[in-house]
Amino acid sequence: MSRQRFVFATLAPAIAILAAIALASTAGAVWFSLMNRTLRSPAYKFVGIYNFERLFRDPRFYNALEISALWEMITVVGALAVATALAVLTVETVKSALWRNVISFAFLAPVLLPRVAAAFIWRFLYSPSLGLVNYLIGLTGAGPVEFLADPHLALYAVAAVDIWQWGLFFAVILMKLLETLPREPLEAAMLDHASRWEIHAYITLPMLRGPIVSLALVKAVESLRSFDLIFVMTGGGPGVSTETLDLYAYQVGVNLGGRISYASAMAILLLIVTNVIFAIVWRRVKTWTV
Amino acid sequence: MTLKAIFLAAASLAGLTPGAAQATDAAACKGKVPSLNAIAQGMPSVTELDKYLPEFNKKWGTEVKITMLGENERRAKSRLDASTGAGSYQVIYVDEANIAEYVSSKWVYPLADVIPAEYDTADFRDDLRNVATVNGVQYFAPFVGGGDVFLYRKDILDAKGVAVPKTLDELQAAIKKVNDPANKVYGWSARGQRGSGMNVWRWTPFFRGLGGKWMDGDKPAFDSDTAVKATQVYMDMMKSSPPGVGTFNWSDSVEAFRAGQVVFLIESDVFGPWMEDKAKSTVVGKVGYAPPPSPLPSAGWGHGWAVSSVGAKDDCTKAVAGDFVGWATSKEMEQHRLADGVASDIARKSTLKSAAYKAAVPAEYIQALLDTGPRTSLLIMSSPAWPEIGDNLGLTLEELFTGTKKDIKGALGESTFAAEDALQRLK
Repeated sequence: MSRQRFVFATLAPAIAILAAIALASTAGAVWFSLMNRTLRSPAYKFVGIYNFERLFRDPRFYNALEISALWEMITVVGALAVATALAVLTVETVKSALWRNVISFAFLAPVLLPRVAAAFIWRFLYSPSLGLVNYLIGLTGAGPVEFLADPHLALYAVAAVDIWQWGLFFAVILMKLLETLPREPLEAAMLDHASRWEIHAYITLPMLRGPIVSLALVKAVESLRSFDLIFVMTGGGPGVSTETLDLYAYQVGVNLGGRISYASAMAILLLIVTNVIFAIVWRRVKTWTV
Repeated sequence: MTLKAIFLAAASLAGLTPGAAQATDAAACKGKVPSLNAIAQGMPSVTELDKYLPEFNKKWGTEVKITMLGENERRAKSRLDASTGAGSYQVIYVDEANIAEYVSSKWVYPLADVIPAEYDTADFRDDLRNVATVNGVQYFAPFVGGGDVFLYRKDILDAKGVAVPKTLDELQAAIKKVNDPANKVYGWSARGQRGSGMNVWRWTPFFRGLGGKWMDGDKPAFDSDTAVKATQVYMDMMKSSPPGVGTFNWSDSVEAFRAGQVVFLIESDVFGPWMEDKAKSTVVGKVGYAPPPSPLPSAGWGHGWAVSSVGAKDDCTKAVAGDFVGWATSKEMEQHRLADGVASDIARKSTLKSAAYKAAVPAEYIQALLDTGPRTSLLIMSSPAWPEIGDNLGLTLEELFTGTKKDIKGALGESTFAAEDALQRLK
């Protein structure tokens, strides 16, 4: 058997299974999106593109779209900013390998926590009357702050938990990458009297542009799957201030009358929008990483 | 086969007893149902079952697996399981909000068809049986439920010289008088989080008590002036509540009261005994109990087990599931719970009269239950569309409570308009 055939023969079953799973569920969603199926009744009929038309007239859908975009932006930028800052700070201030490993382990702990567990812990920590965060704020004479009950704060409060989990994890990755960079360019910069921070701003971080862009893409995909965190912490509230598209689709498809066809139309639109955006980003990645 | 079993089998064949399951011989089904799945939420009456499940498992040669979820998630998942025909759960947890939908969709068996007669369904409390009954047929075996109770801190009222409010006006005045945020003592607490069983549940007595009606003819009417007034009163009282009340669920409210931060609270009566739990409450012996101030009615509710017609199709599964429902809600199980210190979940008349129950809760609490009983009824809209209508209304109320929306009349109007669509889809 030629090498090419061997590669094809070994990859084909896995790809076929993945394709079947992806295609079957997508085809099912498309089918439902063209019907008026609800969970209450087994009877349904073909309604064409009515569900999609209705979505474009649904202000709650536009709100969910806006919240989803905002959520992506805050969590991706936030996680990378925190990761970069912590990685540079640790590399610059902690020289002992043992202590760096201890810090790395501590930074890894939050992401090892199941999302639901993290959500419950932070829901309690944020509690205005019983939580630790407000207790600490109270010591300064301020507060209490209604982190999850204030529609202007809730999204940022939940995003902070996401950043706490992923930003610290990415910090470990960046820290290890910084340690593996070649010494020559750094030594040349030091000979030119560049400060430590200038070295990072103009040499090390640009050298890591490729991995950082990859991390941003990974985080962007991961942020699309934050249903569990938001659902447990706020359920999409207060009002609809933290209601992302997947949460709204869930509310419509399962909670609010079980309008599974309408929810499917929303899922299909979400699929199209994310695929288009990621395709554009993917094409630009090559430029950014050069 | 015992004489009793022979009689029951003969009576069932003759049509004297309604249950198919009652005629199913236990020995014939033992070991035939390797596992029995039940969906539930973590009420004490459910978590307490853990201790006694080996006894039931041994009887039937089965393994009962109980999936525990929060209220909204439990409702969503059991509906999904039944409506898609998945039938993963043979025993489902039903409540006052979804019973109409489950019955109209034929997702549950009538109780008498599945529960053995020895479990004495006539002993269930009448108010709970009413909640579990649709068109004269009882569909679930209740294990918890009741109405509302008005809780107040006797020590704080004594210290401030405030009398126990008997009317809503008196309550509003008293709340303002005792509210002391600087010392983390708040006059009131309430549910703010969205959901037909959350903020809507607590708002409804205000709406109905002030004279509101869900429907005006065949049109929804909960954007009426009365509804606006009820919402204003509810929101005004929330101003004297712990911070974050706009998204409080029942647990947040009850825990704030148990932590000693709240002076007045109207909640479901099952939470009364929670205040007397020495391990978890800081207000043991300091709480007074009374009926809700007039004109507030008491919101009747009931949670219980039913056998899923989607998940339990063959005779043996029906028999084991039916026996589980009977066993889990039996008189003996309630006595077990009382012996274990759980006095909150009582669904049987015989237990209310028992010495063990009288020893477990304050006499004042029992008196409050008796006084509130006549004012207890199902206050929510009795419609299969209620879960959708209630959840939409809950979202609107949460938006108002948290300040996302300011125009009460307009916000309620949007909810009412959406309800019209939901009712129309039923047709």
